[in-house]
Amino acid sequence: MKKILSMILMVIIMITMVAGCSSPSTESGGEVEGGGEDSNGNGVYRIAYIARAQADSFAAWLANAVMEESEKYDDIKVDVLDGQASDDTQNGLIENAIANKYDVIIIQPNNGEAQRPYAEKAVEAGIITITTNARIDGIEGASSVDADPYMQAKVNADLAVEQIPENANVVVLNGPPGNFHADERRKSWENEFFAKRPDVKIVGEEIANWNKDEAMNYMETWVQANDKIDAIISMNDNMAAGALEVVKDDPKFKDILAYGVDGTAEAVLLIKEGKMTSTSLQSAYDLAEALLSTSHKLLTGEEEQIDIDIDCPLITLDNVDEYIEMHKKAGAIK
Amino acid sequence: MSKYSIYFVLLALFIISWLANENFIQPNNLKNVANQISVGTILAFGQTILVISGMIDLSSGSVLALAGVLSVSTYVNTGSLLLSFVVAIIVSVTCNILNGLMITKFRTPPFIATLAMMTMARGAALLYTRGQNIYQIGDYIIFGQGSTFGIPNPIIFLIITLLVTAYLLKHTIFGRSIYAVGGNEEAANASGIDVNKTKMKAYIINGIFVGIAGIIFMSRVNGGMPNGAISYEFKALTATVIGGTSFTGGVGTAMGTLAGAFIVGFLDNIMVMVGVDSYLQQVVRGAIIALAVIYDIWAKTGKADKKLRSAE
Repeated sequence: MKKILSMILMVIIMITMVAGCSSPSTESGGEVEGGGEDSNGNGVYRIAYIARAQADSFAAWLANAVMEESEKYDDIKVDVLDGQASDDTQNGLIENAIANKYDVIIIQPNNGEAQRPYAEKAVEAGIITITTNARIDGIEGASSVDADPYMQAKVNADLAVEQIPENANVVVLNGPPGNFHADERRKSWENEFFAKRPDVKIVGEEIANWNKDEAMNYMETWVQANDKIDAIISMNDNMAAGALEVVKDDPKFKDILAYGVDGTAEAVLLIKEGKMTSTSLQSAYDLAEALLSTSHKLLTGEEEQIDIDIDCPLITLDNVDEYIEMHKKAGAIK
Repeated sequence: MSKYSIYFVLLALFIISWLANENFIQPNNLKNVANQISVGTILAFGQTILVISGMIDLSSGSVLALAGVLSVSTYVNTGSLLLSFVVAIIVSVTCNILNGLMITKFRTPPFIATLAMMTMARGAALLYTRGQNIYQIGDYIIFGQGSTFGIPNPIIFLIITLLVTAYLLKHTIFGRSIYAVGGNEEAANASGIDVNKTKMKAYIINGIFVGIAGIIFMSRVNGGMPNGAISYEFKALTATVIGGTSFTGGVGTAMGTLAGAFIVGFLDNIMVMVGVDSYLQQVVRGAIIALAVIYDIWAKTGKADKKLRSAE
């Protein structure tokens, strides 16, 4: 009896799956032509925002910012989907969003190349496709909103060329290998700083995977192995903050310079205290604002394709107050 | 002698590291290593008790994060260190009681039950914080960055949990039940041991350790990080297994686990000191772990084989 029941259940599941897969594809052609407003009847455009990982603090900040920004638009509704830092999960979510006939799909790729064919599928299905943080380059018909990681590091490197003393010892903290932003920022430091300052010696370089605790462990060891470290060059703020945590009360390192990227709440506080030297802002608010306005322009047919980069302003002690205000407003700090 | 094989591995590694870089032996460096391994090792003591009794906890990294962020949040909102400490322990013990219930009442395999808890606890930590780190945690950093009588607090917690684990395993009825349940559950049951009660107790003790580890972790990184300590359960299991605890149950010691943790800690430390390429480090780390375990097993079974032969 149980066997028969489970057989029947399986058959029902199979039928729904087949039906579920085929029905949207037959209808979607006509609907997409008609545009978002008509297809849903109620005049609200549906956007699928596919986040890299809700467990990644920057990605989560961006997803929250996108949700907040969307409230400013009466005719837009955003659903956030969590890619869980997995290519496979994310590709599945893109497929689902296509099948679900969203008007816009925004992809924050876990790994651009892995999501490329799925982003192309979305374009083919006639859905407005936007890639962001990092953009997937060169998809015909897709738009993009991003910050340029090379520039983000360069604004710091330009400052460091002037500030870091002659024959300095520096340590370098890298993000996960293969990550577009991690690689581009490191490349930028190579070209814009190390190439111009052959006198500077790297006494330690490690992959701390954007993580504060890993950066702390490396710094603790470097401090033991080297009497003199003049600067911390980090590919993001989290790792720079971890390294600074180790030397914050050590008089030997009170003049240490530290550079990051992102402009997190923690980093601006460290800059204010005079512990960190500079960072460049990768503002989730700016990205979210650009994403929503881009979506709106594409939905209303104002423009067909948009590629924009948000600014990456340098944050130092001179202008840090304005960014502290920004984070206070968001409730990240008191 | 074979009982002590893992300590020879540790000693050999220590001497090699000393020769490789003179800074290795500096008291400050050794203190750093002890500090760095504290969180993983405290988790490992919990794992040791569980693995000896034939169970496992895959949720410890996630429960650590949940207990940690709730504890940090409690401190930020109330300013009470004591209360924040208690909250971490309560949260972590509650999660582990749920683990225990799934395993004892509903007969879920520990692997699956704690895997489910891993996902739930991580999700809850992210949900509570909306994925954002909690900053400006003030004096909370005393737990992980302060010292008592010149000894860093994480090391004090490490020593306390070591002594508790060693005492429980060696000198209590509960400890003997743990080995019995892990060695042969049915025999343990037949000899009058309340197997379910033993399992539940093991998870509760694990919960206390995970809560303590959560407090130290968040305090060390000076923030409430919902995505912190990802895959720390494997760090803990690595130390446990290198330390000679058997996945088939019934075998293992707290000191062995501590030795296992130091082997990994020294190895990571010396590779960074001498500047081994960071990709190569991962390969070496894996290879050394394999070699250490192979040597340990060889040293033990080699002896056993000889005994068998002489018996013939």
